Amino acid sequence: MVIAEVQDLVKSYSSFELKNISFGLESGRITGFIGRNGAGKTTTIKAMLNMIHPDSGTVRYFGKPFLGNEADIKKRIGYSTGTVSWYPRKKIRDIVNIVKRFYDTWDEAAYRNYLDIFAIDEIKTPLELSEGMKVKVNLMLALAHKSEVLILDEPTSGLDPFSRNELLGVFTKLRNSGVTVFFSTHIISDIEKCADDIIYISKGQIIAAMPKADFIRQYSEPGETLEDTVLRLEGGGAHA
Amino acid sequence: MRNILRKEMRLSASVLSYLFILFGLMFFLPGYPVLCGAFFVTIGIFQGFQTAREANDIVFSSLLPIAKRDIVKGKYMFVCLIESCAFLLMALAVIIRITVFSDSVVYRSNALMNANLFALGMACVIFGLFNWIFVGGFFKTAYKIGRPFVVYIIVAFLVIILAEALHHVPGLEMLNAFGTDDIAIQLIMLAAGFFIFLLMTVLSCMRAYKQFERIDL
Repeated sequence: MVIAEVQDLVKSYSSFELKNISFGLESGRITGFIGRNGAGKTTTIKAMLNMIHPDSGTVRYFGKPFLGNEADIKKRIGYSTGTVSWYPRKKIRDIVNIVKRFYDTWDEAAYRNYLDIFAIDEIKTPLELSEGMKVKVNLMLALAHKSEVLILDEPTSGLDPFSRNELLGVFTKLRNSGVTVFFSTHIISDIEKCADDIIYISKGQIIAAMPKADFIRQYSEPGETLEDTVLRLEGGGAHA
Repeated sequence: MRNILRKEMRLSASVLSYLFILFGLMFFLPGYPVLCGAFFVTIGIFQGFQTAREANDIVFSSLLPIAKRDIVKGKYMFVCLIESCAFLLMALAVIIRITVFSDSVVYRSNALMNANLFALGMACVIFGLFNWIFVGGFFKTAYKIGRPFVVYIIVAFLVIILAEALHHVPGLEMLNAFGTDDIAIQLIMLAAGFFIFLLMTVLSCMRAYKQFERIDL
C-alpha cells in the first residue's frame, strides 16, 4: 500500500530545478533516497513537508492531500534533519517538554528508551552536543511520538560508523514493526545495508524509483557494488 | 493554540521580552514622554524575534504538528500577550494618576502629554503600529527583521512626537485632561486607540498568513 505519494512536483530556482518529481512510499518499507550533494534531495523533502512552496505538484499522505490536512498528517509523520540545531542554549529536556505536548501519541517510555540507546544526556544543550549527537536528538524527537512514516534528511551524516550501524538497526526494527522509513543519504553503503526500495535522483530528476533488488538487476553490471553502480551512473550521466 | 503559545513563551522568547514589560510603568514618570514606555516594550519583543531567529525557531515550528498559519498566529498571540501585560501596567499607572495623584503639582506642571486615557489609547496605537509594520514585515521573509524595525522606529517616533505635542494645538487642550476632566472624550480616545490596535493587528495577521504560506523555509 502506498502511504505517501509525491506527484509531478516542480520547483524552479535560478540555478536549479526539480523536474516533475513523482514517487510513492510503500507502507512498512525502508526507502533510501540517494543522489549526490545538490541533486535535489533536501528540496524534495522540504516540499514534501510544505517547508518550500512548489511551483506545481501534489503531496499526499495516507490518501489525503498534505495541504489542508497539515496538522493531522504531521502528527502521524516524523521528520528529522541532521544539519540544523534548534534553540542552542536550551536544555534538551526543556525542548522535549514543549514538543511532547503537541502529540497525543507521545510515548514517554519510548523516549526514555531512545535516550538510553543514543546515550543522550537531556540536561545538555544542543550547543554542547557534537553534530552526530544533534542528529540523534532530532531523530529521537521524530521517533518518540510513534510516527507511522519517518522522513529523515541525511540522518547518518556526521555519525561515526558505530552510531550509523546502530541507527540502521533502529530503522530495521521500526520497519519490522510496520513503520515506513524514508531517508536521504549520499552514503550508498547505508542503502545497501537496510533499504528495501531505492529512489535515485540526479540533477533534480528522478532516475529510478523501485525495489532495491530491481534497481540492482536493472542497473548493476556483474561484480559491481551498489556504490559502484551509482558512481558509474553519476559519472556517465546515464539516465534511464 | 495553548501549546504553540507555550512554545513561544518558553522556547522562542527572550528574557528581555518579559523584563521590558516593566517599561509600562514609565506612565508614572512626570515630565517624561510616557509613550516611549510603550515603544521600549516593543524593543523587548523585537529582541525576542532576534533570539528566535538565531535559534531557527520558525523552521522548528514548521516541523510541529500544526498548520503553517498557526505558526503566525502563535507569534501574534505572544506579541499581544506581552503588549497586554504592559497595557495593564500602564492602565494601573493611569488609574492611580487620575485618582490619587489627580492634583499632584509634579504631574500638572508638565509640558508633555499627561498620562491619561488618551495616552493609554495612543499606547495602543504604538502597539498596533508595531504589529502592523514590524511583525507583519517580519513575515514577508520570516527572517529579515532590520528593515521592518527601522521603518517602525521612524513611524512610532513621529506618532509619539505628534501625540505628545497635540494638546498644545488650540482646541485640543482636552487631550491633556487631568483627573476625570473631559472623561467622555478621554474614554472615546481610549476606545479609538484600542480599535486602531485591533484593526492593525488583525489585518497584519491576515496578511502575514498569506505571505508566510508562500515563503520557502
